Amino acid sequence: MTFIALTRKLLRENIREYGMFIALFVIMGVFTITTDGVFISSRNIVNLVNQTGYIAVLAVGMTLVIVIRHIDLSVGFLAGFLGAVAAVALVFWHWPVYLAILFVLGLGVLAGLLTSFLVAHFGIPSFVATLAGWLGYRGALQLVTRNTGTIIIPNDAFNAIGNGFIPDIPIDILPEMHKLTLLLGLLGIVLFVISEVSNRRKMQSYHFEVLPREMFILKLVFISALLGAIAWVLAGYQGLSWTAVVVLAVVLIYDFITTKTVLGRHIYAVGGNPEAAELSGISVKRITYVVFGSMGMLSALSGILFASRLQSATTTAGTLFELDAIAAAFVGGVSAAGGVGKVTGALIGALVMTSLTSGMNLMGIDISYQYIVRALVLAAAVIFDVTTRNTGK
Amino acid sequence: MESTTRTRSPIVELRGIKKNFGAVQALRGVDLMLNHNEVLGLVGDNAAGKSTLMKVLSGAYIPDDGKIFIEGREVRFSSPMDARREGIEMVYQDYALADNLNVAANVFLGREAVRLKLGPIGVMDHHYMEQETKHLLKRLKINIASVRLKVERLSGGQRQAVAIARATAFDAKVIIMDEPTAALSVAAIEKVLDLIRTLKAGGASIIIISHRLEDIYHVGDRMIVLRHGRKVHDSPIEGDIHEFRERAVAYMVGARDDFREETLA
Ligand SMILES: Nc1ncnc2c1ncn2[C@@H]1O[C@H](COP(=O)(O)OP(=O)(O)OP(=O)(O)O)[C@@H](O)[C@H]1O
Ligand SMILES: [Mg+2]
Repeated sequence: MTFIALTRKLLRENIREYGMFIALFVIMGVFTITTDGVFISSRNIVNLVNQTGYIAVLAVGMTLVIVIRHIDLSVGFLAGFLGAVAAVALVFWHWPVYLAILFVLGLGVLAGLLTSFLVAHFGIPSFVATLAGWLGYRGALQLVTRNTGTIIIPNDAFNAIGNGFIPDIPIDILPEMHKLTLLLGLLGIVLFVISEVSNRRKMQSYHFEVLPREMFILKLVFISALLGAIAWVLAGYQGLSWTAVVVLAVVLIYDFITTKTVLGRHIYAVGGNPEAAELSGISVKRITYVVFGSMGMLSALSGILFASRLQSATTTAGTLFELDAIAAAFVGGVSAAGGVGKVTGALIGALVMTSLTSGMNLMGIDISYQYIVRALVLAAAVIFDVTTRNTGK
Repeated sequence: MESTTRTRSPIVELRGIKKNFGAVQALRGVDLMLNHNEVLGLVGDNAAGKSTLMKVLSGAYIPDDGKIFIEGREVRFSSPMDARREGIEMVYQDYALADNLNVAANVFLGREAVRLKLGPIGVMDHHYMEQETKHLLKRLKINIASVRLKVERLSGGQRQAVAIARATAFDAKVIIMDEPTAALSVAAIEKVLDLIRTLKAGGASIIIISHRLEDIYHVGDRMIVLRHGRKVHDSPIEGDIHEFRERAVAYMVGARDDFREETLA
């Protein structure tokens, strides 16, 4: 088989996986051209990453919610409400940062368990249960901020989560660059290559089909170059932000859980066929509790990231986050039919959605058109899902 | 009567099982006995209650009334996991597979092999599960290109093979098969019947539901006929196949009924 034919075949077989990467590249390429390179500047990319953070963590949780055939509309105002609670704990109760964060994450889990109690115990459709949550948390947010209006958070440690960067190694080489970020980028590449190579060896020893050698090398080079480029761009500004660290940690942990653990397997089984899962001894109820509980915790995290980024809790925080998160999950390849979708896809989907906003803002496009463009992208993602479902791998 | 000299004792006993679905009385007080190392054929017309009765035994349905005994001990199943723990496995009529997962994942669904435990979270041993699945499929002599194929890509017969592989993977004491040959070719049916004989030789007790009376005749030791949610016949399988078939059909269509008085009394 010729190289081009092989590439074609691979693309066709894996179009569902590669589709969102292609979309992200196209979008970034187009904005880089239309903004004369401003879009791809270190400063803008860092901003983009920090803006993606609070949507990305929601999208990760939302992906699992959609995988088990549910939806959660309450996450936006829950994030806003819990961000305000964190602000109150820090400003009025004078709690230490770690305690305020743990408290709010705990409240998030409780909120998620409440939702799943309605869904799993009473059998209320999640659409309705979480619409009630949407209303309730919106009211709660307004109550918390009613007397004070916007709560300014004068806490450097807390605000660093959304605005700060990891410290650098104090040595004199490459004064313009953030050395630790470059080092981490290098480490990432090395770990990636090692794991890919050992994985390929293992697959071959079990006689499973693997990518042809040239293709495999091309993939390694391509992804390594991508990681290197991202590290380089970030290092050119102030390095890796704390938000990026948080998001990467969430994505890595959730990726591990969903692909490597029994819990992850059961989540996908429930999404694929709840009756079969139940007959195999998996408790659909328990999985529902776990998935919504995690969604609540990630909503709290999103609220913390957002409040920290704005250095304040506002009366409208979290507005429309849920729609961005749902859109990001769908762009990231989750399927409305359930059982299909990866958390790494959610991260790419969130990057696509914030890239659109960021790029169109830079171009000075009217907000009304921005909504319409984002609507088209979401529609395209779902059409893509439906039309490739039976041809993909 | 008994052609073998083995002494037989019940491994499963169902007594007076009743199950209603709204106004539908699917089971009206059924008794069923399965002996150790016996192959029991369960037959009856459509909607007779065969699947419902077996789902009561597999823990999928909780009966409205009646008792379940395993080796003389009364048990209550509140979920399929309870029944699996007692060594009861079932091949469901609609296979109960998760289409989005691959063959190995389906065979080990709910029983994943764990290689490392991190608190409540178990890390799966993919390699072990894939190798085991290969062996199981080989035993069934069913050809599936890779255990990593998603089940949605399989043919009806292959799906059925996966469901059978799952039920036979864990050295179950009691294996229930609800129409295991319905989607299979003649050659594949022979393999399943062979497998049933092998499982029996290995010590398992088996209940097989089938509309193919010749299958029941060839592998079964005893037959129970259900009709309208009641047991109407229970006897060893003997005689020639034509006589057997006539007898089974007579009970299935209601021309004969061994237990009528009991219910009237
Ligand atoms: N989950 C359910 N909800 C409502 N009714 C049910 C349910 N399961 C079975 N029934 C009813 O119970 C009766 C017995 O059904 P069952 O599936 O046990 O029959 P069966 O003997 O297995 O038939 P078949 O040979 O067609 O598989 C039928 O009238 C059926 O409609
Ligand atoms: Mg049936």
